Amino acid sequence: MTETIDQHQEGKRDVTFRVFRFNPQVDSKPYFDDYTISAERGITVLRSLNYIKEHVDATLSFRAFCQAGICGSCSMRVNGISKLACTSQVWEELDKCREPGIIKVEPLRSMPMIKDLIVDMDPLVDKMKRYANWIESTMPLDEMGKKEFLVSEEEFHRYDKATDCILCASCVSECSILRANKEYVSPAVLLKSYRMNVDSRDSIHDIRLAELVKDHGVWDCTHCYRCQESCVKSIPIMEAIHAIREDALECRGPKDTSGAKHAEAFMEDIEKKGKLVEATLPIRTNGMIWTLRNLLPMAMKMIVKRRTPPPPPLVKSAKGIKIFRAMFREMTEHVKQDHQKSHKK
Amino acid sequence: MKRYAYYLSCINESMTKELDRSIDFWQKDLGLEFVKLHEGTCCGGSNLDYVSPKHFALVNARNIALAEKMGLDLIVSCNTCLMTIRTAKKKLDETPALKQEVNDILKQEGLEYRGTSEVRHLLWVLVDDVGLESIKAKVTVPLKNYRIAPFYGCHILRPSTVLGRDNPLAPSSLDQLIEALGGQTIPYEHKNRCCGFHTLLVAEEESLNVAAEALEEAINAKADFIVTPCPLCHTVLDGYQSKALKQANIDSSIPVFHISEMVGLALGYTAKQLGIKRHIVC
Ligand code: SF4
Ligand code: SF4
Ligand code: FES
Repeated sequence: MTETIDQHQEGKRDVTFRVFRFNPQVDSKPYFDDYTISAERGITVLRSLNYIKEHVDATLSFRAFCQAGICGSCSMRVNGISKLACTSQVWEELDKCREPGIIKVEPLRSMPMIKDLIVDMDPLVDKMKRYANWIESTMPLDEMGKKEFLVSEEEFHRYDKATDCILCASCVSECSILRANKEYVSPAVLLKSYRMNVDSRDSIHDIRLAELVKDHGVWDCTHCYRCQESCVKSIPIMEAIHAIREDALECRGPKDTSGAKHAEAFMEDIEKKGKLVEATLPIRTNGMIWTLRNLLPMAMKMIVKRRTPPPPPLVKSAKGIKIFRAMFREMTEHVKQDHQKSHKK
Repeated sequence: MKRYAYYLSCINESMTKELDRSIDFWQKDLGLEFVKLHEGTCCGGSNLDYVSPKHFALVNARNIALAEKMGLDLIVSCNTCLMTIRTAKKKLDETPALKQEVNDILKQEGLEYRGTSEVRHLLWVLVDDVGLESIKAKVTVPLKNYRIAPFYGCHILRPSTVLGRDNPLAPSSLDQLIEALGGQTIPYEHKNRCCGFHTLLVAEEESLNVAAEALEEAINAKADFIVTPCPLCHTVLDGYQSKALKQANIDSSIPVFHISEMVGLALGYTAKQLGIKRHIVC
């Protein structure tokens, strides 16, 4: 024990990297290899992997390029969390090990494996294409190069943070819904769609939005915030997701999809009662047939246990609802005025 | 006696009534007094913020202002209500113009949002205000034979810029509470994962997959029960449990408790008193 402490102070110690190995051409299933190297304070996980590849095991495969947190290619799971290997300090990771002194290194989740720590980015690229995440210019072709595109500072701030994304896919690997269904759009794709949709130079906002509200799109996000929490560039991804939803409600209307209906129900109920009317929420979201087919068996169990939410007439309004409603409606007037102002602009 | 304003979450008034009821049994034992906020309204459940950001600010400024009027902190026992109201608070505190606009309307009810009351979770009150040692001293029926899986849920941890009490990657407050009550926490990978609640009505299959994974790990680890500080997580993990496990082809089951029930059990109240029989799985 004293020896480890001494080593720690000296700034050099033995560290074991437990690395996920899998070569689909020869291995029937994945396994882990342990590499113990002497590591100095200040060394990153990527430098350690480079050392292992050069001096211990040349067959170990991983992607990396810039070594400075810019290119996004070295994303992997270190001690269970998706992040960039080139910006992760070994010394900091040592504090997070489940087994003392052993740093676990695995590939990103929810993406097809290619070899060892390398995953296939193609499904992600395909989704970027499916949601048309590029700019189709509003400027006619013959004016290109002759005229300037002026972007206001206000507009720039709307996508400033979103353009920090380096497409490392850490957020994609941590996403709860993608893990449950590989068809799901993915957080990085939503972020990029948001970025394109708020750009005044772009002309295909409506096409993109129409795709985003379909199945496996923006309404399937379950608000778990795992993407945002794991983003290596600290981008508030959920703000982008919320903004797409707000935009969808405004442009396509609250009755457009089940997701939109579900969201709008909160607004309705709060205005009416100050409380959510849970009993009818499934019907208002998905209609009577869906509700009967999907929820009836469970509702029966809940009735037995007296867990069913009360029917609408029995939902007690919050105390003092009259004055609350008046204030709520006054805010509705404010919002209307805001809209008029912004449309005039 | 420590006094707090207690926020009434919609779900605790309808589907998970046992949560608030079980607190009533033991609040005095731990020197706590929760004053129920009957004038409070639905926080918008992490939806109103994008449906209408301004109504979202108004509604939650009012919820907090009601507590401020009493000079008390606002205590919440649903993760999503906690995250939602704290998000609004942050917005209001950072945006003077919004705060002004909202306060101009709140005047009608004689209310003003000042930003003086904290918005905190019941779990934090137990661990940080009552304290683990005081809780330990009150335990009459230690949970010593139980292996317990702590399921924190998302919105008590993330976004950490809004929550900030626990490390979202390695939370510990719930584990500490379990241990103070004499129980044994199990290592549980899903402790900081998602239950899938917020898409139950929009993407049911995905939501149930998410829930099934969390249930499966606890079952495989031979936990006696799962405990969660969130009634929405409870609704999925208990109410939708059989559906989720069926979808994942798992033939088993596991009870899920609210923290208020777990505390009640350790302080000597019966499962019947606490309403545990109302759960779908028990
Ligand atoms: S918040 Fe939505 S997009 Fe982000 S990880 Fe969770 S489900 Fe995925
Ligand atoms: S949003 Fe953040 S975590 Fe996701 S790909 Fe972009 S930089 Fe990486
Ligand atoms: S190597 Fe480029 S981001 Fe790590």
